[in-house]
Amino acid sequence: MKLALFTERFYDLVAPDIPNEWDVEEVLDPLIDESDLVCEAILGHIPVIWPVSHSLCYDFLRLLPKTLQHLSLEQIPHWIGITLDCYETDGLRAAQRFMQDDIENYLKKLKGSGGLPLASIERKLLPYIRGVARNELQLKQGKTCYTDTTSIFVPEELRFSTNNDVNFLLYKLILTFQWGFMACKSFINRAPSGFSHIECDEDTLWIRAYLASFEEPLLARDIFHCLESFRVRIFLTQELPGLMRAAEKHIFPQLLLKSQKHPLNSLQQALIKDEAELFTLLTSNLTDRECEKYISGEASSCDSAEITAKLFRTLFQKDVEYLPIITLPFQGTLKLQAIETAKKIQEQKMGEQFADMMASYLLTLSKKELGELHEQDKRDSGNQGLAESDISMIMDSEFSGNTEQEKDAPILVSINNEQLEMPVELEEFTKSFLDEFGHLPAHFLSSAAGKAGQAMLEQEVSGPADNSTQPKSTLSYDEWDYRRQGYRKSWCSLHFKDLPPIRTQFIQNTLAKYHGLTIRLRHQFEMMRSQERFVKRQREGDDIDFDALVESISDSRAGISSSDRLFIRLKRDERDIAVVFLVDMSNSTAGWVNNALKESLVLMAEAMAVLGDRYAIYGFSGMRRSRCELFHVKHLAEPYGEQVKERISSIVPSEYTRMGPPIRHATELLKDIDAKVRIIITLTDGKPEDYDDYKGKYAIEDTRHALLEAKTADIHPFCITIDHKAREYMKHMYGPANYIFIDNVRKLPQRIPEIYRVLTS
Amino acid sequence: MSRKIIETRLEEHLITEKPYYLASGKEIEIALSAHKNGLPLLLKGPTGCGKTRFMQFLAWKLGRPLITVSCHDDLSTSDLVGRFLIRSGEAVWADGPLTLAVRSGAICYLDEIVEARKDTTVVIHPLADDRRELPVEKLGELLSAPPEFMISVSYNPGYQSVLKDLKPSTRQRFVAISFDYPNPEMEAEIVCKEAGVDKKLADSLVKLAGMTRSLKESGLAEGASTRLLIQTGQLIQDGIDVHTACRAALIEPLSDDPELLAALQEMVSSVF
Repeated sequence: MKLALFTERFYDLVAPDIPNEWDVEEVLDPLIDESDLVCEAILGHIPVIWPVSHSLCYDFLRLLPKTLQHLSLEQIPHWIGITLDCYETDGLRAAQRFMQDDIENYLKKLKGSGGLPLASIERKLLPYIRGVARNELQLKQGKTCYTDTTSIFVPEELRFSTNNDVNFLLYKLILTFQWGFMACKSFINRAPSGFSHIECDEDTLWIRAYLASFEEPLLARDIFHCLESFRVRIFLTQELPGLMRAAEKHIFPQLLLKSQKHPLNSLQQALIKDEAELFTLLTSNLTDRECEKYISGEASSCDSAEITAKLFRTLFQKDVEYLPIITLPFQGTLKLQAIETAKKIQEQKMGEQFADMMASYLLTLSKKELGELHEQDKRDSGNQGLAESDISMIMDSEFSGNTEQEKDAPILVSINNEQLEMPVELEEFTKSFLDEFGHLPAHFLSSAAGKAGQAMLEQEVSGPADNSTQPKSTLSYDEWDYRRQGYRKSWCSLHFKDLPPIRTQFIQNTLAKYHGLTIRLRHQFEMMRSQERFVKRQREGDDIDFDALVESISDSRAGISSSDRLFIRLKRDERDIAVVFLVDMSNSTAGWVNNALKESLVLMAEAMAVLGDRYAIYGFSGMRRSRCELFHVKHLAEPYGEQVKERISSIVPSEYTRMGPPIRHATELLKDIDAKVRIIITLTDGKPEDYDDYKGKYAIEDTRHALLEAKTADIHPFCITIDHKAREYMKHMYGPANYIFIDNVRKLPQRIPEIYRVLTS
Repeated sequence: MSRKIIETRLEEHLITEKPYYLASGKEIEIALSAHKNGLPLLLKGPTGCGKTRFMQFLAWKLGRPLITVSCHDDLSTSDLVGRFLIRSGEAVWADGPLTLAVRSGAICYLDEIVEARKDTTVVIHPLADDRRELPVEKLGELLSAPPEFMISVSYNPGYQSVLKDLKPSTRQRFVAISFDYPNPEMEAEIVCKEAGVDKKLADSLVKLAGMTRSLKESGLAEGASTRLLIQTGQLIQDGIDVHTACRAALIEPLSDDPELLAALQEMVSSVF
């Protein structure tokens, strides 16, 4: 193919983008010698990669001559798929690296090395382990197996057996075993009684400090790990006998420990031997009584800590170099540091939440109480407002959770020597915090005081909003400030913008891609529309309503005036529904997410055309309160035509997600619409967040309030989100059953119309 | 004006044998007190967690007949209140379940009330506040409910359809009791008793149910209910092997999603 033609075709494909001619020619030039067939195939891939990342597309073309030496044309689409996955999960660099270096690896995998990749079974394993663990554990890839108590790390691929069923079983065993450590409380957080001589600061796991106190910490860790693994093994045999039976049959026999002369070898052996041999294996290290305790499952992690010390004394030899144990594949490694880090992150998160709750509680205290303090402080130090140190708070330290009675005792907070009782919600949160972490770091309390002080200051200082000249197509909306439990008046300016209609192949491509789905959706939606039902007791109709007739005759016999509503009529249920779709156009939706959102809108619109529900589509984004933007895609009354299609294609990620103003605007819009059911559906990929202080709790509370306003106006808000981490706050924001998560972005186009169907029928 | 009224055999609704019910909180006390004070009762909770059984138990305890109406969207006011019928050329009045309950001081239980149309559910309004009366327009009667009468409704708040919600004006008349699945020990006891299985099997079934319930956010609308556990137990008791029984009675009813089904199957194979 000639270079000029090649370049021209390229430009057609990437329109409306106009890339630099130099770049394009540079990457296309080496390819012109390829046959037309190859060139066409190459061009076919451009629309797939270009919208995701331009530089990735250039890289793809640049590396293509080399790639074509290794891969056949048919293999390329799959290879691109993996590259894009790589881009999506690990970013551009990783994708580039994959394209450059990993072709051979890729080929090996393609040929089938007999291994079982995690990716192929992750969607089965994740619900499994979450169900077993009964919490939202994450599954992550790691070089070794371990857990940090919020995630379990497992290898990317298992090649333990040629039989993938066995590999799957091993994956399952690894996950369950790692969870076992958590369930058995192996990671001792605070010093158990009798061990108070080993001290550690609040941020350190006690067990880490304990193991570190040995002369050879690595050996101590190995001993403890062995003992705990055994405990987990016994626990799992009791708790999940089916799994352990399968493991005994298919996995353990293949796990022959190399004849290593490690003193802990017999303990390790015990993990994979059946019960008959357990006792003998254990007694080489433990006393009879200890063995019994372990085998019966009564031993605790404290016992392990105790025995670790004892065994260490017998096993440790000063002059012999440390010899690591060879761990079994499911046993993993003990990474206490990782647990601490995860705990710290968790603690920080919960602490901030606590500080926010505390701050909003402080603000609800009578002005007098805090005001007096404030005045006094002003006099004392000439301070402006309440600084961090202005409120001294002490949490009742009596709570130690040792006895049931103490657990039930109310937690008191003393503010400037005055004791106050906390609201139930806050108290419960504090208790759960203390349960989890054992102590409440003082800086969260002072941060709460600081936050409260700041909010008070703002209340005083913030005057009326600046009345700068506003463009005509601008509305201002209030914003909820939870700290002051009131609105910031006319705080946000919402600008209306039009998306430029763009003529692209996007709509055709989408419709072609989802051809089958579109037909199915249309059919389903059609069924909804023609929800025909017989209405009884009509004055006229197609058939006689027998019940009514009998009733009428009986009534007249009984001497009551009888009804003349004696007919049945087939009636189509009028769907009187008005919906506003708000589409998140924040920067974070770049790439697949934006594409999937757009595709879903197209499918949705196609299906809605059958249904006849009134709907509007707006995109939202913006930066700072002074520039929230609402992009018009389709108004309620507007028909779905070329213009709308072109505007959907031109939805692009832009800036931030300030959710309050668009929701308030949609509420205003729907308020005036006369419909039986009015719904706002938000399609988003994450938390509300803006460039300024619109983040975290503030943003969530404002959004929540905007949604409450909608509910008050008898409008139903609903949210479709693809944020995995959203679970905690979504319920708070939208209320239970008013939101749904979609795990897989690619399933979005398929799911959204389904959700709409369920929602409105 | 005297009218012929079709006699309904009330004793059919009387529960003579003590239904098995294990209280998990203060629900019995609350319900008894509500009955004593003539207050209506709203039971909410997930499917198969014992709402209906609780009503049976309550009716037995109070010694009153229990008249249950399963609501559906075709339910009309006449279906609840009653209508004239013709019998041998004569118009006779037949009480609807609600009227019957009011007349006889029974307990009227409207199951899944959100399924009924909203214009139908308003007929219970005057019964559900301090008036406690039921106007029967066709008879020109205003029935006053005797002290023994009680009205109770149930619904499942887990539905996502916006069209299926209770009107605030209906909702705010009731003493509400929230039901959830019993705690594991109690649930195992219930499964033991109802399905006749041994303690160990019941414990495992309950463990399995707990696992499925924590998948609520991973795409499973509702976890396995106590009722499903009992049914599974019954199949096992009948000689069907554990894995098959769990598949048929516990997993397949929960979802159609192949990946979730696979994950659930893995749980079963781990537990048993």
